Amino acid sequence: MDQGQKGNIPFDEDNYTHNIHKDNERSLDRRSFMKLMVGAAGVFAVSTLPWGAIAAKELAGFSNKKYTAAKITDVSDLKVGEAMEFAYPGKHDSALLIRLGEDEFKAYQNACTHLKCPVFWSKEQGEMVCPCHHGVFDPKTGAPTAGPPRRPLPEIILEREQGVILATGVKRYET
Amino acid sequence: MKRSYRGVLLLSFVLFLNIVCTQQTVNAYYYEKYETVLLFCVLNLILFPLAFWIYKRERDVK
Repeated sequence: MDQGQKGNIPFDEDNYTHNIHKDNERSLDRRSFMKLMVGAAGVFAVSTLPWGAIAAKELAGFSNKKYTAAKITDVSDLKVGEAMEFAYPGKHDSALLIRLGEDEFKAYQNACTHLKCPVFWSKEQGEMVCPCHHGVFDPKTGAPTAGPPRRPLPEIILEREQGVILATGVKRYET
Repeated sequence: MKRSYRGVLLLSFVLFLNIVCTQQTVNAYYYEKYETVLLFCVLNLILFPLAFWIYKRERDVK
């Protein structure tokens, strides 16, 4: 190292930590690393608490949710092969009603089970398609047939009364 | 001084289990398998004292 350079600006160093003089300040020793790991384990433990709390709440008696029936549409307003969006059970739970045949209706909550993008009905392909990552769902069962989703779409239970389609509940996954 | 990386390796393994348990918790939640959620949640909580115990044991070793 050229002694004449000492004290000159800019410093003859290739980093921006030349003002750190404390011993071991820049080194992460084994013990601090292990402390870090213990801290991370704590963070992971805390992060599962909300999930556990909600699960416990569900198990404690709300497992049979009460749904109120809601009118979706008139049968005459939906042609065969067409689909329409609605919201059920809450007004922010978007869902998709598809008329597959003259008397065949299917409805699913259409938040993709991959990353919650809205799933669309593709009439040409006869499939439900998620545009975000090209997830494809079978309109007859709601099961994923292609792309990243692994979990079927939650199906909405339908009833037909005097030319009106009613939503009466959301099917639970079979366990 | 002879180095021992046993603690580091054990804690890495604990952290790996933490990741697995968290992932399983969230998956089970979306599949509405709430018993499984509670199981993995408790496992994840137990892993923290375990990690702390491993750390303490490695620290106190002379």
